[in-house]
Amino acid sequence: MALIERFQKTTDIGYWQGQIPLNYIYTVGRAGEKFFREIINGKIFGAKCEACNITYVPAKIFCEKCFARLEDKYLDVGTKGKVYTFTQCYETYEGIRKEKPSIVTVIQIDGTQGFLVHWLGEIDFEKVSIGMPVEAVFKAKKDREGSILDIKYFKPIK
Amino acid sequence: MRRVAIVGAGLTKFYRNTQETPKELAYEATKMALDSCEMKLSDIDCVVHGTAPDAFDGVHMKGEYLSDGSGAFRKPYMRHFVGGGTGVLSPAHGWFHVASGMFDTCLVVAEEKMSCAYPHPAGAFITIFDHTTEQALYPTLIYIFAIEMNRFMTTHGYRKEDIALVAVKNKKNAMDHPSAQLPAEITVQDVLNSEIMAWPVNRLDISPTSDGAACIILAAEHVARRVTEKPIWLDGVGWSLDTAYWCTRDLYYPDYLEVAARQAYKMAGIKEPSKEIHIAEPYDPFTYKELHHIEGLMLAPRGKSVQMLVDGHFNRDGNLPTSPSGGLLGVGNPIAAAGLMKVIELYLQLKGTAGKRQVPGNPTCGVANAWGDLMQVGTVVVLRS
Repeated sequence: MALIERFQKTTDIGYWQGQIPLNYIYTVGRAGEKFFREIINGKIFGAKCEACNITYVPAKIFCEKCFARLEDKYLDVGTKGKVYTFTQCYETYEGIRKEKPSIVTVIQIDGTQGFLVHWLGEIDFEKVSIGMPVEAVFKAKKDREGSILDIKYFKPIK
Repeated sequence: MRRVAIVGAGLTKFYRNTQETPKELAYEATKMALDSCEMKLSDIDCVVHGTAPDAFDGVHMKGEYLSDGSGAFRKPYMRHFVGGGTGVLSPAHGWFHVASGMFDTCLVVAEEKMSCAYPHPAGAFITIFDHTTEQALYPTLIYIFAIEMNRFMTTHGYRKEDIALVAVKNKKNAMDHPSAQLPAEITVQDVLNSEIMAWPVNRLDISPTSDGAACIILAAEHVARRVTEKPIWLDGVGWSLDTAYWCTRDLYYPDYLEVAARQAYKMAGIKEPSKEIHIAEPYDPFTYKELHHIEGLMLAPRGKSVQMLVDGHFNRDGNLPTSPSGGLLGVGNPIAAAGLMKVIELYLQLKGTAGKRQVPGNPTCGVANAWGDLMQVGTVVVLRS
């Protein structure tokens, strides 16, 4: 069997340091244009497929089940939902320990079959439960720029 | 369709920080597979290669880069990639080539070298998420799995300390595997006391970062019977993809896997999987995932897998041994190679050549699965002796 020698660090042996140096500008897309313009107005938009009776969130231009075009089926779905599942994260995506852990949730938006991933705030982790009603907390209007971060986090509805 | 057999296999040791380049890893596994059945590269008609994101090895068009190490010089060659599900799609991809009648022999190679990515390969996953609605929130792979584990536990009332038994079992099974990266005798308490990563996932609930490669050789029946006295038949293959919106799935039950398993079982003529299957290698990158997949493979009723685990049903000497190899938790997780490692374990077990890992009772039918993409792909193979 090969590979008998164990190295703790690849820099202890012959190596070359390199990168794949690329940056990207992603368009938000046609449905995204609607979704993110409305987020500036403090609204969350979905799209409804009437044939399948499914409301997608965020809005999208087609139904993945029947392939109907949904560009004239956008609708305001409100800013409330329920915690579908959640976790508390202790590390960043680069594997570095966070100073303060963050609570991440998947939220099912009320009256839809759509979900948003976002942070949960204004609550202790021990008190979070599946099914808990929550609502979006937006940044001040002047600070919104058409990004998912225009929602600061979701918070429990008292 | 022609019947297709596995006639040889090769597997490197799994490590983090191997000196070997990805190409060299692929060569070692491929060479070992050829030697295992006394075949030469000139006996091989075509090559398929499974390897996960280019970002791990850090080589764009990694399939092309790995081709010579995989024995593909001037041969028909194709690369496939479905994230973590890749290693169990690999035999299915090879199966098409041989079952169709187009080729009599096919090398199926899988490789991953995750240790190249700095500071941590987990960073490569940020760009698998939706670029406008999710990446801004800095998702990590561990947190999306923690989210799934929470829903699985809450729906069925499973306890974390019971799920931790998967790590205890698999790391112990890996003690007997010569390729193993993290074999260990640990206790449930060790798992619960290990560092918390994203609640309810602790460090010992997770498989490691690994480098490694695996290879199997497929042959049509008339060739297989010449090459070996005991071909192991690739009797069922299945794969399916659930919604592209990962968080809209029923996270407590892997529908993607049931669809794929039903396809493979139908092809193999299996009607009652829990009775007809003797040995399983469910995909276990996380502890809960082995149980999630045992339920999705219909080897345990929904909501019952944990009790069966606690009762010893899935131990190496239990009624249905699962991950007798030691799984990803014990042997390691070089993504595509780890999936193929599971298929190789079934091959060795059904052949009766698994050595110290051999399960009792002469098993004749086994199933393996893998899972990946953005948590939606299910890939399944059924092997018979």
